[in-house]
Amino acid sequence: MIQNRAIRILAIAPLTRGFGYAVMEGPENLLAAGNKGFRSNKNAKTLAWVEKFINRYQPTVLVLPKVYGKDTHRAKRIQLLHHELVVLAGKHLLKVRQFSATQQRDQLLADPKGTKYEMAEKLAAQFPAELADRLPPKRKPWMSEDPRMDTFDAVGLAAVFWKPLK
Amino acid sequence: MKPLPNYLQSQRKRLALSQDEVGFLLGVRGWGKGEKVCRDENFVREPSLQDALVYQEIYGKPVSELFAGLYRQVQGEVQARAKYLSFRKLRKPNVRKQQTIIRLANLAKINPSNQ
Repeated sequence: MIQNRAIRILAIAPLTRGFGYAVMEGPENLLAAGNKGFRSNKNAKTLAWVEKFINRYQPTVLVLPKVYGKDTHRAKRIQLLHHELVVLAGKHLLKVRQFSATQQRDQLLADPKGTKYEMAEKLAAQFPAELADRLPPKRKPWMSEDPRMDTFDAVGLAAVFWKPLK
Repeated sequence: MKPLPNYLQSQRKRLALSQDEVGFLLGVRGWGKGEKVCRDENFVREPSLQDALVYQEIYGKPVSELFAGLYRQVQGEVQARAKYLSFRKLRKPNVRKQQTIIRLANLAKINPSNQ
């Protein structure tokens, strides 16, 4: 359990198109959330944006998804970006916390086999003013993922940070 | 934790308002109504007292909460000055004045959540 709830955290979810971000001050206060997409030079652009967010929001902790683990298979580019983000956090003296996808599902849905969409629905219900109108329609099997889901990935990471560890 | 200079952006997004709409409510004339709001939200400009009061009216939160960082900074400065005043020896002791100065000098002790 996080003892000190008066801290600001920045959660970054690096993804195929770009990244999702969320800034929270305590478990109930979602300050900002969104996503950025890039077409080229994704890692460099993501790092520049994350540095901009760190300077603007002055967080204490950077929350990232785990990219190395039994339940995780991420692209080489994402693994490299993850490493660069950890280095960037060190440069700004931020603590880094990492959560795997299974941990997120466990904490938010109490079901390790829950889906991303179920998690997004739960987060939209938890932060209706900020996220309810950004929830995309449920993806059909022949559709690719909606870019707005990046936001929910990042908010999911930020929300898990405040939950007691199981 | 040091608060942000202001929380205007998160409050605006919570109410699903655009920068142009808030600019219109602020009474900005001409094109680019949102630019002034953008500068306020990005900590580039400190809004005037009138604009701060309009923000309070729009978002329904007190100015001290909307501009928490600025408020904290001002509070610290007042506290430091009050401490300076409290060391001054008065020719005529005035109880009310002394109480006010001591209260201001101990602002941080009264409101520890602001630390």
